[in-house]
Parts: sequence; C-alpha cells; structure tokens
Amino acid sequence: MIRYLIKNNFKLMFRNTWSVVVMLLGPILVIAVLSSAFSELMKSYEGVDDFAVGYRMEDAVEDAVRFQAVKLAGEENGILFYEYPEGNVKDVMEKNELAGFVEFSEDTYVVYKSADYEVEGITLEYFMNKAMNESVNASLQIQAQDSIVLPVEQLEFMPAVNARDYYGIIYIAYFGCCGMICATGVLSNEKKYGIVRRFQVSNLSETQNYLGKLIPVTLTVAVGMAVSTGITILFYDIHWGKPVLSMLIVFMMIVAANAFGMMLYNISDNLAITIIMLFTIVWFMGFFGGSFETYMFSSMPDMVKHLSPVYHGNRALVELSCMGESDYVASALWYSFAITVICSAIAILAGNIRKRGRV
Amino acid sequence: MEDIILKTVDLTKKYNNKAVVDNLNIEIRKGEIFGLLGPNGAGKSTTMNMICSIVRPTAGKIELLGKNPWKQKKDVIHKIGYIPQELAIHGSLKAWENVELFTSLYGIKGEQLKNAVNDSLEYVGLSERKQEFAKNFSGGMKRRLNIACAIGHNPELLIFDEPTVGIDPQSRNFILDKIKESNKKGATVIYTSHYMEEVEAICTRIAIMDNGKIIACGTSEELKRLVNGSDENITLEEVFLTLTGKKLRDYAE
Repeated sequence: MIRYLIKNNFKLMFRNTWSVVVMLLGPILVIAVLSSAFSELMKSYEGVDDFAVGYRMEDAVEDAVRFQAVKLAGEENGILFYEYPEGNVKDVMEKNELAGFVEFSEDTYVVYKSADYEVEGITLEYFMNKAMNESVNASLQIQAQDSIVLPVEQLEFMPAVNARDYYGIIYIAYFGCCGMICATGVLSNEKKYGIVRRFQVSNLSETQNYLGKLIPVTLTVAVGMAVSTGITILFYDIHWGKPVLSMLIVFMMIVAANAFGMMLYNISDNLAITIIMLFTIVWFMGFFGGSFETYMFSSMPDMVKHLSPVYHGNRALVELSCMGESDYVASALWYSFAITVICSAIAILAGNIRKRGRV
Repeated sequence: MEDIILKTVDLTKKYNNKAVVDNLNIEIRKGEIFGLLGPNGAGKSTTMNMICSIVRPTAGKIELLGKNPWKQKKDVIHKIGYIPQELAIHGSLKAWENVELFTSLYGIKGEQLKNAVNDSLEYVGLSERKQEFAKNFSGGMKRRLNIACAIGHNPELLIFDEPTVGIDPQSRNFILDKIKESNKKGATVIYTSHYMEEVEAICTRIAIMDNGKIIACGTSEELKRLVNGSDENITLEEVFLTLTGKKLRDYAE
C-alpha cells in the first residue's frame, strides 16, 4: 500500500506549483545575488599564481630555524620568499615588484601589502597567520619531544574557490534543507479535510504513514534541487567536484532535514510551529556552518562550527569542488545518516503515542 | 447472536469529566440500515469515531463483528467503510487517483486495485469524469467521490456520517439510492443525519440520541407510536422535537 501512498503524495507535492517554484527559483536567485555580492571578498580565496614576497629578519630573532620551515611551506603553496636585509621596505617592494614583505622583529612580525597585488596581499596575510600559529604549536612540540618537527604539510592553505562556486554549491544544500515546505500542502490538506481520519480507519501503520511522506518529499526536493543545480551549472558555470559524491551528500542532507521536519511535525502536530522551528534551526545551523558568512572567514569558534551538520556538508561540498577531496565527506554523511535514523525513530514513536492517546 | 454486527456496552466518552457519550448500549444487526438521529452535540459523531477507532473510549466495550476494534484493529478495520462528514479527498488528485489512494490503504493492489477503482467510480456515477481533478467537481460530485473512496475494499459495514450535507436534491437522491443498493447487496449501514425525511426513507431502524444517550430506538412507526400513541398524523421530525426539545443546541461536536 505504501507504493500508492508514496506515488500519490509525490503527485500532490509536485502539483503544488507554488512550493515547487520557490524550491526551483529560490536557490537560483539567491546564488546570483550572493555570488556577485561576495565576489570581491571571495577573490582572496581564489587560486593565484606564484608570487614573490620579501622578508627581513633582525639578528635577535631566534626563530630563524623555524622560519625556514615556513618558507618551505610557502614555496609549496606558491609564495616565494626572498631575503632583503637592507633598504626601505617600500622601495624594495617597488623595485623588485614584490607582492608583499614580511619584517620580523624579536617577537612580532609585520606584513606589508602592495596596492597592486591586493589578492596576493590577503593571501600572504592569511598564510603568515596560519603558518606562524602552526610554527608556535610546533615549538611547543619541540620542547616536549626534543625533536624538530614542523608540520608544514598540514598547513591548511586556502582552497581555490570563488564566490560563484561557493554560494552556488552552498545554497543548493541550504534550500534542500528547507525542502519540507513541499510537504506543507499535503500535511495541511490531510488535517483540514479530515483525510487523517481515513488513514486512521485503515490498515496504514504509523511507519508506513511516515515513510509515505518522507520518501515523496525527499524525492520532490531532490528533483527540484537537481533541476536548480543543472540551471546554475548551465548559466553560472558552477563547478561541483566529484558529482556523484557531492549529489549523495546533498541528498543525504535533504533526507536528514526532512526527517527532522517530520519529527517536529509528529511531535507538535502543528504545521505552522513545525515550519517556523525547522526554518529557524536550519538558519542557525547555516549561520554556524558557513551558509551566509563563508566558513573560511567566519569568526565562529571551530567547536561551534563543528556542531552544525550544515557545516560538515558545506565544507565537504566546497572542498570537493575546489580540491577534489575532503576530510569532511565521511562526517557529513554520518551526520546526515544519524539525524535521519534518530529523527525517524522519534517521529514514528511520537505518531504512535499520539495515535494510542487519541482523545 | 451471530447476526449482530455491532454491539456497544456502556460505551462512554468523557471530555474534561463531562460525558459526551454516556453509557451507550446499541446493537446493530447484519443487513440493517441503522439511523442515528440527534441534535448538534448529541454525541453521534463521537460514537461513530469510537466505533471506527478514531477516538478512544473512556469506558465501555465495542464489539465489531465479534472483535474489539481497538485491540484487534487489523482483523476488523478492513470490514468498515467510513464516509466522514468532511470531504476527505485531495482536490489536487484526479478522481481515480483519490479512489486508488484510499482503497490501497486496505492492502489492495495491482489489477484488483484497478478494478476496485473502476467499480467504485462506476458505482457513484463518476467513471466518465475519473480523469478530472477533484477540486473542479461540484459539491454533489465531491460527496459522491467521498463515498467512492470508502467502498473500494467492499466493506461489510458502511458508516455514513451526514453524507448529504450541502448538496442538491438530485445528488442527495442518488446517494440515498446507492445506500439502499449497497444494503440490498449485503452491506450493513449506519447512517447519521439531520434530515428526518432521509432517515425515514432509508432506515430500517432509528435511534434518537441526546446528551450522549439513546432516548428512543425502533422503527419509524414504533417511534411515532411512542410519542403519539399512533403512527398517523405525526412526522418523524415532530417525534424528534418532542423527544429532544425545541431549545437551540449550539454545541460543537
């Protein structure tokens, strides 16, 4: 019987033109707006060619050995350091066409940037910040282990992603998480016209009833997002890395968000409360997870970011796009899977309790 | 005893300690068209809902085809066809899709389901319009579709909860004829309505319910004799008003 329930609910959701249009046009419009609004900011994250940077070190600087490791890491990431012990920094930069200059003193360093190399300047600043942090961590290890190991290979240097790709990917995932809106027509009709009663006077179990909604709403959203993705690839030239894996991640995020929404609905038995709560929670998860402010520039503590399932999904998708691999793929999939299983169990339990306690 | 299809024993439903259905005892025999009459708030719909295992009774017992519908739901539920007072259909589904959806809930599938859908639509006179969306139907057509959605699984007991509200005389007449036809084919019918002439025309036995209790039960003639001493010069409506009073009822059931 569930086959017919899924089939007809799928038709109902697809015939709800308004929600389908919102699901299709929403991401396309938001991607267009955000990718152009943040394109300047994101340029700092785009891949740049190798560039030269000058540096100078005071004699008293004790970290010269460690700087050699940083220098090596720079070379691996296209930042070539050349020493200029003498002369005015500005003059040296202009004369040698340097993109930046780093001046080390005893316990500080100053990064000079050139107006002609804006993107390279931001890149250098980010790199130095990251490299020196790693360097300090390494020095602590030196003291503890009495060995010199600078984890330069693990420097998280910026992946090359532009605003279009970033928001083009993120907003497909974000709108997918809001896809429960496609089920609102069916859920409100069931209540408004007493269709729930027909279900009660039948052999339909709570699990079947739950799956009879979860599966079609997931399929509807997945089809909608697939079309939106196709359109954005065509018109905005969005690059998805490893398409099958990326689509699996987005699909799992959609399933998890819908299971979460269905759980809220079965607990609250109120569609308005469900939608408000779902959208609020998805918004916060997106806020922590880089859906609005990019997760690379976000000042949010890492612990908070990691708590958001959206962060794992976003990061996996963006890194797949710009690097072709990501350490976050597994966590993104597991997070979604766990949410789906737990929320489904609670949703079915809540539905059964409500059924048993019918008043 | 074998021909008793439905029996309630001291069936009670209370909301906030107020009894909406109060120690109700009824017996409905196989093949009957049993009419349940009562003013608004009398407890008719709550009684129907308890029989259909939609509303849990506070106390008492229900025996449906010898089984407790609350404890042995799977054994009996497919023998009930419940036609709710609301138009419980999806406007954005075509007529045949609505019937297919609700008939499939009883485990019917494949060719059998296809036949059941066609038969049900034929039965209510909508087979020519089966490809149309329900939202485009008139009130009477929607009522007929509402019935088609509940009969595809060939239930033994049909429960009609005010099925003729707000429709034209032709549609009403059609529905009443179909109810009689179903009854002739062997279905037992429980019918609630506010329209006395309908109940009098089709029901073999009538119970008048007020304040959650059955205050009179019998054939139309028996009820008239109960009030008037004779079944002449009195209508069922007058019997009803005499038994339940003329005071306005503003309850919401």
